[in-house]
Amino acid sequence: MSAVAWALPALPLLVGALLLLAGRRADRVAPVLAVLAGVGTLGLAVAAAVGRPDVSFPLFAGLPAGMAVDGLSAVLVVTVASAALAVLVFAAGDMGPDEARARFFGLMLVFAAAMLVTVTAKDLAVLLMAWEVMGAMSYALIGFWWQDGERVDSANVAFLTTRAGDLGLYFAAGCAVAGTHSLSLDALAGAASPWRDLVAAGIVVAALGKSAQLPFSFWLSRAMAGPSPVSALLHSATMVAAGAYLLLRVHPLLEAAGWAGTLVAWAGALTALVMGAVAVAQRDLKQLLAASTCAQIGFMVLAAGVGSVAGGTAQLVAHAAVKCLLFLGAGAFLTALGTKDLAELHGAARRFRLVGVTFGVGALALAGLPPLSLWVTKDVVLASAPVPLQAVGLAGGVLAAAYSVRMIVAVWHPRDALTRDDTEQPGTRHVGLAEKLPMPVLAAVGAGFGVVALPGVLGPWQRLLGASGEDGPTALELALSGGLAVLVAGVVASRRVNLPAFAAARNWFYLGQAADRLVARPVLALAGALARFDDRVLDGAVRAVAAGGRAAATLASRRVEFPVDGLVDGLGRSVRRLAVLARRPQTGQVHTYYAQAAVLLLVLTLVVVLVG
Amino acid sequence: MNPMMRENPADLLPELLTLFGAVLGLLTGMFVPRRRQWIAALVCAAGVLAGLVAAAFAVSGPRVMTFDAFMLDPVTHVTRLTVLGSTLLVLALGFAPMRGHRRETEFHVLTVFTALGTIALGAASDLLVLVAAYLLASIPAYALAGFGKDGKGAESALKYYLMGALLGLFMLTGVTLLYGLGRGTSYETLALGLPSGPAVTVGVILLVAGLLFKAGAVPAHFWVPDVTEGAPPVVATLVTTVPKIGAFAALFRLGAEVMPHSWALTIALIAAATMTLGNLAAFGQDNVRRLLAYSTISQAGYLLVPVAVAGRTDLAEPALLYYVAAYALTNLGAFAVVVAVGRDRIGDYRGLARRSPLLALSLVICLLGLIGTPPTAVFVGKVLMLGAAVEGHYTWLAVVAAVNTVASVFYYLRWIVPAYGRAEHEPPTVSRPAALVAYTATALTLVLGIGSGIALSLN
Repeated sequence: MSAVAWALPALPLLVGALLLLAGRRADRVAPVLAVLAGVGTLGLAVAAAVGRPDVSFPLFAGLPAGMAVDGLSAVLVVTVASAALAVLVFAAGDMGPDEARARFFGLMLVFAAAMLVTVTAKDLAVLLMAWEVMGAMSYALIGFWWQDGERVDSANVAFLTTRAGDLGLYFAAGCAVAGTHSLSLDALAGAASPWRDLVAAGIVVAALGKSAQLPFSFWLSRAMAGPSPVSALLHSATMVAAGAYLLLRVHPLLEAAGWAGTLVAWAGALTALVMGAVAVAQRDLKQLLAASTCAQIGFMVLAAGVGSVAGGTAQLVAHAAVKCLLFLGAGAFLTALGTKDLAELHGAARRFRLVGVTFGVGALALAGLPPLSLWVTKDVVLASAPVPLQAVGLAGGVLAAAYSVRMIVAVWHPRDALTRDDTEQPGTRHVGLAEKLPMPVLAAVGAGFGVVALPGVLGPWQRLLGASGEDGPTALELALSGGLAVLVAGVVASRRVNLPAFAAARNWFYLGQAADRLVARPVLALAGALARFDDRVLDGAVRAVAAGGRAAATLASRRVEFPVDGLVDGLGRSVRRLAVLARRPQTGQVHTYYAQAAVLLLVLTLVVVLVG
Repeated sequence: MNPMMRENPADLLPELLTLFGAVLGLLTGMFVPRRRQWIAALVCAAGVLAGLVAAAFAVSGPRVMTFDAFMLDPVTHVTRLTVLGSTLLVLALGFAPMRGHRRETEFHVLTVFTALGTIALGAASDLLVLVAAYLLASIPAYALAGFGKDGKGAESALKYYLMGALLGLFMLTGVTLLYGLGRGTSYETLALGLPSGPAVTVGVILLVAGLLFKAGAVPAHFWVPDVTEGAPPVVATLVTTVPKIGAFAALFRLGAEVMPHSWALTIALIAAATMTLGNLAAFGQDNVRRLLAYSTISQAGYLLVPVAVAGRTDLAEPALLYYVAAYALTNLGAFAVVVAVGRDRIGDYRGLARRSPLLALSLVICLLGLIGTPPTAVFVGKVLMLGAAVEGHYTWLAVVAAVNTVASVFYYLRWIVPAYGRAEHEPPTVSRPAALVAYTATALTLVLGIGSGIALSLN
């Protein structure tokens, strides 16, 4: 069975790597290969969910690593594989033959593979590797149209923001080794007191960053720069879901740390509220969807904070299906009509009926209208939360109903004289079979996933996730939230009330600008100052040393070298002179030899007699 | 430590075998036609070889005084081996150039006689025998110097003879003086009976003068450059190598056994003057034979250092014996290269490395050996020599020797560098037999240098 654990991420990873290596030569076969790989991956995911494989391997000395599929992972791998397959099928139709399809599908497959490793990792090391690969792939996919500088900027913002959060995970891994002498995710809750809190802090920062929770939400707005299928995958089952998954996975740690659970719960609840308001104020369909993603993920984070694993996971799965569907629908509209402006999309649903209907179903589910899925899953989450959080959550639900119905109204409103097509790109006026194919399936899942909260199903669902004993929603709670959603939806649909559109909300409460002012600019200013310090002081010192050395060398060559050189030359000259003198006695005439020998012997005798 | 006294002719077996070979060679040469004179040469060489083998077997014998005048001790053994070995190489070197010469046999016989006289010089422990040995070693060499019967040869032979006559006269005067002062001529008697005083100093200096002539040291060095340049190259090789061995052995024996007053100072002054003058005069030489001649003078200076400290330190004897053997081989190798190339100007050696890489390599090894570079034999000799000087409290002499060694690098390199340069015209042709002798001598210096530990432990 362990082969499945390896094969599950390996299949999309290898096919993806192959496509990336092949480059544009593989453009023609890329969609087919990618969809086949997606089908295979889904098969493997189901097999893994049934077989529950568990592998361990040595990675670092004394720190065993591994991948395993438990209840939570089983749900996640099937969700990820399904969403990936749906998106790949859609993309096969959506990505035109002119695009670099091999690169696109390669990146998508590696992206999905990284998410699969993330949700099966047993320890922080493997999780971190997959986490980083996922971050890198998201960067490459958001900046897929790299010829456009603005999109690359968006990719940079998204990447840098999530990277900044990721540092928390490295910090947590270091503290985990210090506190538990292992990297195992299960052991984190048992860490000694200061380390446990530090690990929790690191993980919370990383997860909030990845999931675009407050205050990191703004990067998700910029992530819209990528192709629609990227948004569909990134907002449903990968990337943002990874943060929520990680928090759900380590909820024992959050509980053990105490403060971390409370912090996470409030971060999630406030994100649901604030980003709901942001979504209500958006004029751009994809921006609206992005903000709503933040808000809906907020419910999952809230679930992790209050320990409602069953509710959080159900929310994650239902939201994945719904959001995937909505982004695919938005992508289809964008491709066909060339616009994603809510005001210009009037009549879109009527022109493309299937897309319109499924999009509508998804939006209604997102609105939390009974009896659709998110109505139920949200209430399962809120059932475990204390009253103040419940109140904030309900307010978030009201906002969800408002923005969802706004979308429905926008696309189902009849086309009028003011509606213009092609405001952003030339549309094809056509939605192909491949694009339509995943939509009904996703709509069915998105609408019907609420069954997990039915009294007969909730128990097995909780047992599957190992979360038995969590409270289910009471009938009163269900009625209250459903009633509120219906009321708001009705009000918005009747268009009696003009929704307030605050500039601050439309601009994501200036979170991006704040990050730019408070973090990016000071960091850049500091970097500039350090660079100047490096150039002027450190480099200056090095240059001064070099200049000093040259000056000293010049001095030495003038003041020392000439005399020394002269000394050597002089020595050579005098030896030469002596050498000439030494040959002088060799006259070649025997009588001078005789005289010299006699005189020398006489001198020698005198010296020896006198001295000795 | 009085040596054993005896009169056993078997103790002189190496000398007798060599003499027998020479006489037989002379007789053979008289009776075979000129084109087969090489038989006489082979007979002479066989005699030398037999003597060499006998000398090698005699090394392990006890310290013996034989016939009251002939000392058998390590000095004699090394002298015998070195002289006979060098002579054999000289005979090999001269074999090809002398082939078919009118006086072919005479060359070989005279060479062997010179060697015999040299051995006697090194082994004598009586002043009268020393004088006889001096004459026996000198007279054949005079004849050999003029062997070419040309103008330069005649001039060099005459100069050689005249210098030898004057210094031989000094030597005889010194012997007479010392005989009168010490009441005897044997070293044993002199060691006991020689008083100290200016008269003895004069006598010793006069005696030493003759030996300095054989050694080619200042102030009796004047013949060396003239003979080396004027005589045939093979003869130059002989007279700058073989007689020196005996002369240094005799000087060392005098110093060690008679130990006259002020001996060390006398020899140290001569040594310093000799090495300095030899090196300085070699600086500007363009003629390789004259260059080598001055080089041998400077080497004589180094060799006089252990002689100066003879009897003052135990290191003196191994230093001298080791250095003298190493010098003989290295000098022979260098001269063999000159004989092989057959040219005298330094410029003629340009491009030698291209023409004959092995010969150029031999030249380099021999010249670096004369400087005293490891791993050649002279390096070990030089180290021992410097050690002996320091141990014998003649540190200033060691310093002078070291400075001279550094200075000598200059003129040896002047010769090495062109050999590896590009030839301007056709490089000289090389004589194969002489080259073989050069290779042999070079290889022996390396073997001796590398096996220095073994060579020293034989003492």
